[in-house]
Formats: sequence, C-alpha cells, structure tokens
Amino acid sequence: MDNVIEVKNLRREYTRSQGFLRRKKQTVKAVDGISFSVKRGEIFGLLGQNGAGKTTTIKMLTTLLAPTEGSCKVLGFETFGEEKRIRPRINFIFGGEMGVYRRLSARDNLRYFANLYLLDRKCKEKRIEEILTLVDLKDRADDLAETYSKGMIQRLQIARGLINDPEILFMDEPTVGLDPLGARMLRDVICRLREQGRTVLLTTHYLPEAEELCNRMVIINRGKIVAAGTPEEIKNGSETLEDAYVRLIEGVSV
Amino acid sequence: MMAVLWSTMLLQMRKSFVRPMFRFCLLANPILNTILLYEMFRNAGEENFMAYVVLGAGLMGLWSCICFSSAGDINRERWSGTLALIFVAPASFPVIILGKIIGNTLLSLLTLVISLVTAVVLYQVPLTLASPLYFLAALVGAVTAFVVISAVIAYLLTLSRKTELYMNCIEIPLILLCGFVFPVTVLPPAVQTLSRAFSPTYAVELLRMAVWGVKDAGLFWQKYLSLAGLTALYAGLSLLLARRIDRRVRISATLEVA
Ligand SMILES: Nc1ncnc2c1ncn2[C@@H]1O[C@H](COP(=O)(O)OP(=O)(O)OP(=O)(O)O)[C@@H](O)[C@H]1O
Ligand SMILES: [Mg+2]
Repeated sequence: MDNVIEVKNLRREYTRSQGFLRRKKQTVKAVDGISFSVKRGEIFGLLGQNGAGKTTTIKMLTTLLAPTEGSCKVLGFETFGEEKRIRPRINFIFGGEMGVYRRLSARDNLRYFANLYLLDRKCKEKRIEEILTLVDLKDRADDLAETYSKGMIQRLQIARGLINDPEILFMDEPTVGLDPLGARMLRDVICRLREQGRTVLLTTHYLPEAEELCNRMVIINRGKIVAAGTPEEIKNGSETLEDAYVRLIEGVSV
Repeated sequence: MMAVLWSTMLLQMRKSFVRPMFRFCLLANPILNTILLYEMFRNAGEENFMAYVVLGAGLMGLWSCICFSSAGDINRERWSGTLALIFVAPASFPVIILGKIIGNTLLSLLTLVISLVTAVVLYQVPLTLASPLYFLAALVGAVTAFVVISAVIAYLLTLSRKTELYMNCIEIPLILLCGFVFPVTVLPPAVQTLSRAFSPTYAVELLRMAVWGVKDAGLFWQKYLSLAGLTALYAGLSLLLARRIDRRVRISATLEVA
C-alpha cells in the first residue's frame, strides 16, 4: 500500500525551566512513542484530550519540529533532514486567529504566500480566485484581514493552506470558530480533497465531525496511542464515538 | 527568488509603516533629535551642521528603526503565528529575512531626509555636502553594513526569544560607541578599540568625511576597505547562523509561542 505518512516510535520531549530564582530544568514528554501510518487518499483523525500531544505530532509531521527519537516520514522522506523534499508538497492549517498578516487583505495574503510557494505568475492569480470562491471570501477579499471576524480569518487560513494544491493537508482544529455554514464548507473542502486523491490529517475535539469525515483515526492520551482504527472499530459496540472515547480515556487515567 | 525578495520587501514596508511605533521612530524621532543636536552643537560652536546634526539625527533614527523593526519584527511574526509559516515555505528563509531587512532599511533611510528637511526649514542653516559622489559611495557602504548587521540580529532573534531584551540594551550604547553624534576620538582609547570592531563606526566616519569633503582619497578608500572587510565578516557570521538555525530552532522549538 502507498503510505504517505509513516510514524514509528515517535517521541518528542520539551525542556522548560521552572522557578524564578533557582531555575530547574524539567522535561515534558509531549509525544511518547507513537506509531501509525496513513495511506494516500485517506482522511485521518488525531483525537485526544487537551495536552495529549496532537499539535506536537502535527508539528513534527509538517517539518516544524524535530523528533527527539523515532522516525517520522512524510511522502517517503524524513521530516527532519529531508524537509526540502516535503515542504512544497504539503501544507497545514492551524485553528485560531493566528497565521495571517492582519495588515494585508485576504487577496494580498494569498498572493504573498503564493510567492513563497514559488507559484508562477499565471497560475497564481487563477488559483487565488478559485480558492477565494471556494472559501466564500470573495466579497471581502480586498478588505484588510484585521477587519475580519474570527471565522473569516479561519476561512482565510483554509485558503492559505490550499494555495499550493498540497498532496497532504494537515489541519489542527480547523473548525474552531466557524459558523455552521463555514463548518460545512470545510467538510466540503475536505471531501473534495479526498475525491482528488489528496490526503488529510486532522485533529478535532468535535467527535461527530471526526466520525463523519475520517476513514481511520487514532486516539492519543498523554502522548501514547490508546486506540486506533476505523470509527466503527473504535466504537467497538459502544453506542456513540463519544461513549467509546470517554471509556478509553478514563480507562487509562484511573 | 526575486519575486520572493521583492514581495517581502513591499510587505515589510507596508507592515512597518502602519505601526505607530515605527512611524514614531521614522518620522518624529529624527525631527526631535535634529532639534536637540542643533541646540547642542550650536552652543559648542560647531559650524558644519550637516556633519553632526543632520547626519547624527538621521543615523540615530535609522539605527532605532533597525533595532525596533528589522529585529523586533521576527518576534512580532512569532506572536502572530506567521514565523512558522514563512519558515517552512519552500522559499528560502534567508531570502525572506533579507527581503524584510532591505525593505525596512530603505524605508528607514527616510530619517536622513527628514532630519535634513527639519534642519533646513527650522534653522536655515548652511548645509554643505562637499563630495556628493563620495557621499553616495559611503551611503551604499553604510546601508549594506546596516542590512548585514540586521540579518545577524534577526537570526539571533529566531534562535532565542531573549534577544529582544539584549537589543534594547545595545541600542543606545551603540549610538555612542560608533560615533553617530560625535567622533569616536573623544572616547577613551580602550573604548575606541571596541568601536573599531563595529562596522557602523567606519560607515559614519566615511559619511562624515564625504560631508566635509574628501581631501585624502587614499584614507577614504582605506576606511572603505575596513568597512567592507568587517561587513563581509558579519555576512559570513550571518550565513553561518542561517545554516545553524534551520536545525536548531526545530530542536529547541523557538519558532512559536507554545
Ligand atoms: N513549546 C513548548 N514548550 C514546552 N512544552 C510544550 C511546548 N509545546 C507543547 N508543550 C507541552 O506538550 C504537551 C502536548 O502539547 P500539544 O500542544 O501537543 O497538545 P494538544 O494535544 O495539541 O492539545 P490541545 O487539544 O489543547 O490543542 C503539553 O503538556 C504542552 O504543555
Ligand atoms: Mg493542539
């Protein structure tokens, strides 16, 4: 099978210093030996409690963070060491109001990132028009992003993540702040990507959404995988995914 | 690559210009400094106001803009979450940084113009620029030197969030150390040796020489060579840093605020 993401025994520690006068170094195990793989064309979910290590995992996959140990391969290349081969072919969207230039309009934001992704002039403008329509920002495309609402910024983020037509799109809580139509737009975007054979890896705290979208998922708790499989497999007889989730998380913590 | 450089320059100028702090550094600062310096030097009986007042105020403004903007901008991008985005974009990160710095530095050159206009309008002082061509050469050298210094600072900032603190500490000492407003020769000899390690010292001397009129072309080019040498040294350092940071920031996780 064509695995576009392969993670083996991946670990990541952070060191942080605590205390004011007597500074102590403390290491936090954010990701503690996880393994999974994602096939081309899959929508893959990463679920888990706050602080479970989802964002850290995504950062390692998107070449933003070096693994402490283990292997982390995207499109067949190590994310730390062979990142140049990966970067033009992937993109990511982080939820929240970060990651746009607020003093630029949506269109100028997209133009700038199109330059950074080295798109050529002709396909640049066409692509920008396309995705502005897709995320339904066309009316406000020339207003400064600082005048946008939270959800509009989120839409702009989604547009930015699509600028280079990525083979794999990583999304960390992409529905945060979106209105119902926005959330549906995002689901449509994701389904469309799937039809085009693109791969999506996403995290969300909204379980029904995960169940509806994901082909497969893993549930992480305190840096370790506690369940993996299709939504049906994870439910394993429970009424809803939420029931199964609660059982899995509490079963581990108690 | 040129598109990246160019669009980053424009973006940076736009971003900087709408920031009130930058506008203060860029517009108000040189006016105030020109007035202050003018009063100081008039009392000291200095005749050539171009050399000390206009150049001094202009350079101080330029340096503040660089300290607070070229460098501080990395932190702003970190806080707004865009630093991570530009870091992993396929375009080369050093080119993006260079674009930002060039954009800022060119914009900051306005401080020289503003301080010139202030001096002329307020005081109608006789301003002489004896060797315009030498001045142009010195200006090119100075701008290059400042761009390279900013690059070093920007990389240090990418590595550590504490750099901004150090930046604020060195802003004023460097103005004194490099002789922006008075010649380094008034400093104690030991301190002068230190001044010689900083490229702006030579840049300032060259600009001032050109204002007074270059009488000894040999000396001018000798100093120019020192400036070029130091700048090349700094450039080498910034390249070294650029290569190191790519791995370092991903190990230490300093690209973003967690
Ligand atoms: N830069 C950092 N420095 C120190 N510790 C960090 C850093 N980033 C994350 N951590 C820690 O690593 C752990 C995992 O964090 P991570 O952001 O991966 O969680 P998450 O699963 O994305 O949580 P959430 O659902 O709240 O987004 C947490 O304990 C967090 O405090
Ligand atoms: Mg997270």
